[in-house]
This record gives sequence, C-alpha cells and structure tokens, in this order.
Amino acid sequence: MNSRQFRYTFRYVFIAQLEKCFYNKIMEKTSKNRKTWYKLDLSANVYPTLQRKNFSSVYRISVLLKEDVEPDLLQKAVDLTLPRFPAFKVALRKGVFWRYLEPNNRPGPFVQPDIANPCMPMAFKANNRYLIRIYYYHRKISLEMFHSLSDGNGALYLLRTITAVYLRLKGYDIPNGNGVLDIETEPDPEELEDAYLRYASSRVKPPRSQERAYLIRGTKEPFYTLNIITGILPVDRILQISRNYRVSVTEYLNAALIFALLEKQKTSRVFAEKPVKLAMPVNLRRFFPSGTLRNFITMVYPSVDPRMGEYTFEEILTQVHHYMRYYINDKFLNADITTNASTQQNPLIRIIPLFLKDLIVKQFYIRVQDRQSTAGLTNLGVVDTPEEMREHIERFDVLMGQPFSARTNCAIMSYGNILSISFASSIVEADVERLFFRKLVQDGIPVKIESNRKVEG
Amino acid sequence: MSYCVNCGVELHKTCEVCPLCNTRVVNPNNPVDLTSPKPFPSVKGAAGPVRRSDVTILMSVILATTAVVCGLLNLFFFTTSMWSLYVIGACIVLWVFFLPLFFSRAVHLYISLLLDGLSIAMYFGIIAYLHPGNGWYFSIAVPIILITTALIVIFAFCIRHLHTSILSTAAVIIAETGALTVCIELLIRNFEAQGLSLSWSAVVMTCCIITDVALITIIRRSRLREEVRRRMHI
Repeated sequence: MNSRQFRYTFRYVFIAQLEKCFYNKIMEKTSKNRKTWYKLDLSANVYPTLQRKNFSSVYRISVLLKEDVEPDLLQKAVDLTLPRFPAFKVALRKGVFWRYLEPNNRPGPFVQPDIANPCMPMAFKANNRYLIRIYYYHRKISLEMFHSLSDGNGALYLLRTITAVYLRLKGYDIPNGNGVLDIETEPDPEELEDAYLRYASSRVKPPRSQERAYLIRGTKEPFYTLNIITGILPVDRILQISRNYRVSVTEYLNAALIFALLEKQKTSRVFAEKPVKLAMPVNLRRFFPSGTLRNFITMVYPSVDPRMGEYTFEEILTQVHHYMRYYINDKFLNADITTNASTQQNPLIRIIPLFLKDLIVKQFYIRVQDRQSTAGLTNLGVVDTPEEMREHIERFDVLMGQPFSARTNCAIMSYGNILSISFASSIVEADVERLFFRKLVQDGIPVKIESNRKVEG
Repeated sequence: MSYCVNCGVELHKTCEVCPLCNTRVVNPNNPVDLTSPKPFPSVKGAAGPVRRSDVTILMSVILATTAVVCGLLNLFFFTTSMWSLYVIGACIVLWVFFLPLFFSRAVHLYISLLLDGLSIAMYFGIIAYLHPGNGWYFSIAVPIILITTALIVIFAFCIRHLHTSILSTAAVIIAETGALTVCIELLIRNFEAQGLSLSWSAVVMTCCIITDVALITIIRRSRLREEVRRRMHI
C-alpha cells in the first residue's frame, strides 16, 4: 500500500467509522426524547389558531360523587392514571408549517380547588405546558381539556378512569371496562390514531360554506366570566315526551333550543330575520368504528328559516327530525370529513408557513364559520360506567366552554336517570336559557336549576 | 325545595333568585339555605403566568450584542462618523418597547408608555446631537413627543377605565387627532417666530369637532346607536 492509498483508506474508512460512531451516540441520546411526537388530528389544527388572550377552546366534564372529594387521593389517582393516556400527557409545540404534540414529562398536572369561571383561557406555555386541568369542589371532580387533545368522548374516558382509580384508592372495588381503561396495560395504538384520515374516502367533496345564521346580540360579560345554568331532568320523563312526539331525545332537545332561539329573534326585533342554526358535533365513532381517544367528530347544522313563515314547535320537530335522519349517516359524514381532509392534505396549503395559516384560518373562522350557527349544542349521550361505580356517582355534567363570540352553548349528557343540560354563555342575558327550560316545563318535564350567575339587585 | 313562580323550574336550595328570570325566591315554609355549599364555587381563577424568561434573555442578548459590536466597530474600524449611536439608540428603543412582552405582569401599562415616549425622545436626542441644528430638538421634537405620549396615555386610560364602545373610542381618537394637529401647528409657528395663530390645523380641528359632535349625538341617542350598530357590525 503506497502512502496515497493509506491516506485514502485512513480518511474514508477509519474516520468515517469514527464519525458514524459519534453520530449514532448523539442520535441515540436525542431520539430517546425526540422520537415520540404526534401530529394534530384534522379538527385539532383549528383550535390553537383561535387562541386569544381571552379565549381558548376548552371544555369541561364533571362527575358529581356522593362523598366529598379528598384532594390528596385525587392527585394520586391523576398521577397513576395519566401515563396510561399518552395522548393527553402532552405539550403543544409550534413547527414551521404545523403545530404538533410532544410528550410532556414536567411535573403535574396538579389538582386544584375549583373556580367560579370554568374553562378560562389556557395559555399553552403556562401550567407546565399541560393542556388539561383538574379541579375539585366538595363532591365534584372536574376535568378541563383543550380541544386539540380530544373530543368529549376521549375526555370522558380519562375522567371515568381517574374517578375509578380514585375510588379504588378509597378502598372500593372497581373493575375495568365500561369506559374505565386498565391503567396497568400499554395504550392501544388505535387510541392515538387520526381516525379522520383512515375513513375520509368520499369521491365528492360538498362545499363547506353555508348561509349566515341569526346571531344573538347580548351584553358581553367582563373578561373571566362564564355564566352557567344547568338543568337537571329525569331521563324517563324526557324519553316519554320524546316518544310522544315520535322523535329521539337529541332531536327533541334540538327542536326545543331552536324554538327558544326563534322566540328570542322574534322579541329582539332584528333588522332582517335570518335562519336559526345550531352547530351540533356528531360523534363519528358511531358510524366509523375506531378506538381513538383523539378528536373524531364533525359538525352538522340543523336549522329553521323563519323567513319562510311562522313555525310551530311540532313543525320545528319535524324539520329537525328529517334533517338528522337525512344527514347523519356514514355517506354524508364521510363526504364531510373528506372535504376537511382534502383541505389539510392539499400540497399548496401544506407548504404555507404556520403564521400565515393561522391568519387565514382565524379570519375564515371569524367571517364564515362562526357566523354559520346561532348556538352550539352537543349531546354526549348516555354515560356508561362499571356497575360498581354507580353507587358512588350521582351524575355527570358537561360544559361546552366559553363561546368564541357572544352567544350561548348548550351541552347535554345523561347518567342513570339523570339528564344534565348545561348552558355556558358569556353574555348577561339569560333569555335563551329561560325560553328553553320553560318549554320543557310546559311539556311536563320537571327541571331543577343550578347556576353560578350572580344575584342582581 | 322552592320553585320559580315565573318559570316553573325547581331551584337549588341555595338559590336566592331564579337564574333564568331574576325573580326572588320567597318560600316561608322553606327559606333559602345560606349555609350549604352552593353548586358552583365563588372564587374566581386566573390563568397561570407564562414563563417568558427565555425570550427576555434571548432578545436582551441579541440587542446588547448588536449595540456593543456596532460600538466597537465604530470605535476601531469604521471611524468616519459616530454612526453606531443610531444602532445603539435603536437597540435601546426596541428593548424599551419590548418591556411589556418581557415582564407582562411587572410593568405597569402607563409607566411602559411613558418609557416608550422617553426612549423616542432619547433617539431624537441622538439625532440632534449628531446633527446640531437651530434648536429644533427642544423647540419642536420634545414638545411633540411629550404631547403625543400624553394623548396616548389618555387614550389608554379611556379604553381601560371608562365604558367604551367602538363609537366612543373613535370619538376619543378623533378629538385627540384634532388637538395634536393644533399643537403641532402652534409649535411650528412658535419655532419660526410667526406668531401664535392657526391656519391648516383649524380646518382639521373643525372637521374633528363636526365628526365628534355627530358621534356624541349617536352615542347619546339609543335608537341611532342601535341603527349604526346594526348597519356597521363586522
């Protein structure tokens, strides 16, 4: 081997091997922390763009126990449960083109005494970067979650599992199943999937934009005020009334809310009447089997147009009933999620830097999306728990959170024979809530009201 | 248990008024329970502070390095003029402007605005030092900066402490614009020793007064106000 060949061999074999060795060492170190990260799912991308100093897309699910909550045990239960839900033990980070979630191993989240203004804005860098908050108040445990992590269904799994672990720590024998996940097992990869992309397969993409809806005009409450009115109803009675009308409970409550909003528009003497539309999230797991704990919902907009003439309550019911039956099926829902998926997968949109995307999406939401609905209504349906938990739980409540614009949002869920309807609004007037609950009372449903509204005068 | 006589709903035992219609609960057989816990807590929460120390350190280091390096360059290499004073001044102005971002909770808004005014006055001072003229700095620049700062502080006070709508905010801005133009013209005339009279600023001031009177009329007449709100809502 001459000297030139030796130099060549030394340079390209020995040094290259040395470099490779160092490189592998470094990569090993970084990949331990860096290899796990999650893309935001299809609908999760929108919520951070709407973030303002006085608004975050945060919702709350509460469980009312039959005994006072012990904060220390609750903290232990949270610490034991959260590692089982890697999709929720995350921090939101900014990339150049999209945001993403990365595992968060900072201390927390810590349970804290409940506050009068639930669903307050959630700064992404505060609270040790956690996007969930857990509160306790006498017998109530509340879980608040930023919507980019999950929809109500996923959050409900977390709350039920925390509650089950808490009850176990108190000495009760609570089995897994029926909404309670086993904290000893590894998470199923399907729990972390973006199910939208698996099912978005329609060959047509219906247009997204719709006609503008009537917007409630009310006196805005000061910052950090969220008015809550919760109505508690017996499930058997509301079922009976819905059956008398030959509709489902969701259709009946939808119609009652549209009825209240139509009355409100009538008494507000608006310059030009507009359709009353509800924005209603549909749980897609009912139509597309998926065990995902992340967002898997889409919106439908049942509506009534008063410009066509005066609607009686029965006519509103018919309208809502047929709308729901026509649109809420796997074909229409598939077309809807395909529209959303194609927007996100468009190469042109993908290469736009994040700050420009934020600007465009925010303006689209403010000028189009937010004006398409008069109010929000969500029904999480019947909550299931193991039979052994039932004797410790009185009811579950859900709160849709602070509305983006001055309006009221309505959220429904039921447990056992108790149906809870919670209105969250950032306006002083409670006209819609009053008209809604009065309608239920007129139909013969007993309603019990709880509220955090301040006494006036 | 008590029911609202107006709405027919059952009320929580701690409810003093119906949350739906504000009707007071009067039930001699079952008075309002003021001792049991209410269904919702009464203590308000506030979002936790965001740690901005990293951004503060990074920005301070970048600005300080820029200022020091330019100063050294000016001192040892490009020594023809004192150009680095512009860069150093700009770095100081930027740092002062970023103060609310760095210490969002510690820095009071009004103090921050005053510091902004002072930093701009300082920057103009640098220009005046490098280009000494016929006293323009103290005769025109400083008074205009002081007046503008005062007007901005007044505007911030109105926004924060008075019940303001879009219309009243517009009225304040227009009134301040009118006042500022008058001050500017008076200062220029004083500087040029032309005597204290008004010409172009009087026209601006008249337009501002007319617009303000119209706005105040709309604000005070609720029907007009509602009409404008309906037609102009965005």
